[in-house]
Amino acid sequence: MPMLEVKDIYKSYGTCEVLKGISFSMEQHETKVIIGTSGTGKSTLLKCINQLDPPDKGKVWLESEEITNPSTDINKIRQKIGFVFQDFNLFNHLTALKNVSIGLEKVKKIEKEKARERAMNELKRVGLEKQVNQYPAQLSGGQKQRVGIARALAMDPSIILFDEPTSALDPELIGDVLEVMKSLAGKVAMLVVTHEMGFARNVADEIIFMEGGVIVEKGSPKQMFQNPKVERTKQFLGKISTLYGTE
Amino acid sequence: MKKEKKAISMVLIITLVSITVAFSGCTEEKPNKIVIGTEALFPPFEFVDENGTITGFDIEMTTKILTNLGYEVEIQDMAFQQLIGAVNSGIIDVIAAGMTIDEERLQQISFSIPYYSSDQSVLVRADSTKTITNYIDFANLKLGAQTGTTGAGWVEEHLLNMTWLQEQNINYSLNVTLGSYGSYTDALQDLTLPTGGRIDAVIVDKPVGNAFAEDGTSKVIYVIITNESFGLGVKKENTELLQKINQELEDFMETDEWNALVKKYFG
Amino acid sequence: MAIDILVDSFPQLMKGLAVTIGLTLASVFIASILAILMAIGRCYSRQPIPFLILIYERVFRGIPLLVIFILIYFGLAQAGVIIDIFIAAVIGLALHSTAYQIQIFRCAISSIPEGQFTAARSLGMSNFQAMRHIILPQMLRLSIPGWSNEFTIVLKDTSITIAIGVVDLMRQSRYIIVREPSSALYILLFIAFLYFILVFSINRGLSYLEKKYKISGLEVNITR
Repeated sequence: MPMLEVKDIYKSYGTCEVLKGISFSMEQHETKVIIGTSGTGKSTLLKCINQLDPPDKGKVWLESEEITNPSTDINKIRQKIGFVFQDFNLFNHLTALKNVSIGLEKVKKIEKEKARERAMNELKRVGLEKQVNQYPAQLSGGQKQRVGIARALAMDPSIILFDEPTSALDPELIGDVLEVMKSLAGKVAMLVVTHEMGFARNVADEIIFMEGGVIVEKGSPKQMFQNPKVERTKQFLGKISTLYGTE
Repeated sequence: MKKEKKAISMVLIITLVSITVAFSGCTEEKPNKIVIGTEALFPPFEFVDENGTITGFDIEMTTKILTNLGYEVEIQDMAFQQLIGAVNSGIIDVIAAGMTIDEERLQQISFSIPYYSSDQSVLVRADSTKTITNYIDFANLKLGAQTGTTGAGWVEEHLLNMTWLQEQNINYSLNVTLGSYGSYTDALQDLTLPTGGRIDAVIVDKPVGNAFAEDGTSKVIYVIITNESFGLGVKKENTELLQKINQELEDFMETDEWNALVKKYFG
Repeated sequence: MAIDILVDSFPQLMKGLAVTIGLTLASVFIASILAILMAIGRCYSRQPIPFLILIYERVFRGIPLLVIFILIYFGLAQAGVIIDIFIAAVIGLALHSTAYQIQIFRCAISSIPEGQFTAARSLGMSNFQAMRHIILPQMLRLSIPGWSNEFTIVLKDTSITIAIGVVDLMRQSRYIIVREPSSALYILLFIAFLYFILVFSINRGLSYLEKKYKISGLEVNITR
């Protein structure tokens, strides 16, 4: 069985059906990027996977465990699924270091000193060695997001979900974050929802194009950009490419 | 981190200590305990002395009687207006508060035999030139008294009552006003304000008026004969206690101790 | 001399002061604990809990403190339950203050972005862990200004307990005035001064606390 298996996910908000039967899977260390117009349920899909917003119908398996089953301990599962938010959601009352170590201390019950050490390493990894004792309010957007990534990484997850990680950043800060994400490719599975086509093109193993609550097409970056099978894909990618330029 | 923990523990300790200190006045269950209810703002019948003890003529007398009957006495201070409610609900057992025996109160509680007879007095500022020789002299006065007292009652039933005034051949309103106060202390303060009192006179039981006048800031200029009697109050259903108290009171009033007590407080 | 009276009555007044402080501390802390629980209940629980808490708030903010005291002390006695006046006073003050403090804590909670809770849960924290480590610390910090205000309000409210006979600073002063009517002004000025000192110290102490725990970026404007 693949590491992550998503099958027939349906989700509605009131009368509005946002996800109309989504299915795909991911293997270990794979990077998949989900693209599409806003409001097509991409973020919702991510939240359905880690049950922050459970789906109405459908099942999700992580490492052969069915997480949509109400009897599974969702808190344990969430330790294996990292989440990076569009709005960073760093804990405002904690330093960058504490932000990263708190999950280790309180959830994984790792001893304080060891947790601190690991947190330091992760922050070094994302290039924030000097900012460990600063509070989120003192950090730039790009730095905040990198802390967010470090926080997710520290938990040693099997997969990290990225929900439009750079959409709230100033253009000049996007680069740093993408660099960090690039460095993770192949080391940890990543499912990324983004508009950053350069990243999709250069880093993804597979690109999934979603619209209207369904998967329109999916394939390797080469195939999607050069030889899309569906007309709509061609339209979308063509427009986006001109907008963002090709990298 | 340690400093904050210290500060928090300090605060918690202070809280616990204060609570214990304040709770140390807590009542434990004693089989022969009896509670006297009073309002210690009515010298010389009940007041608080320099040592913080509630004392006074009523208190000494009642404590003596109840102790003779074998009780352990406790004194509870509260607002005068609450005393009747308190004795009826069991918070206190006996009212000793210079309370006059009258019809209205007899409907709610029982009284002991009278132990003191008193009149009302008119208390004015020491520098007042007012004199009163008859009821007409009360005209246009702003009076003050404690709510629920016989003093206040007297003013309402007489000076403010057209029917009674007519009986005295006074066919016009005397234009008297009566201010109601929570306690006589407040009335006294309004009387003796340094910038000129808000009221002209306080109507209060004579011995109390004399006690207030002792420090020279006020004086008694007239005595209204009302022939009131003070009694101890108990719950109506408590007939056994009342009997015991009456018997003891009667005996006590024959003793030398009684005479000494009267002399001590009333000269 | 009036000043001599003041000096002589000093021990009595200090006793009253101790009672006043004791009442304030006991009531505020009990109220705070209740209010934090109820604020969390109101923000995060399922119906009918938030509705019940709303009723509590409305009731105890709507009844004057004096009436609450009399109801608890005399009202309960009518029903056959006799309690000590100090306990009655603390209960009354605490119930009343809780209703106002719930508002303070709720306001603090609602100014915490929702994403904080979501992020905590995404790390694998249970609801309880998220509350304890992420929401509560932020909520407490944000509540400090409103809470210290409430503290001084309760202090001033303690003087109302004379209605049920609690011998606090206010009542002690009245005992003295009855004995020595001419000293009224001095005594009252003195105790006003004492209340002022208390309020001032509380405000100073708590604003120090506020500065110490202040984290840039974690502020909110609370209107009462």
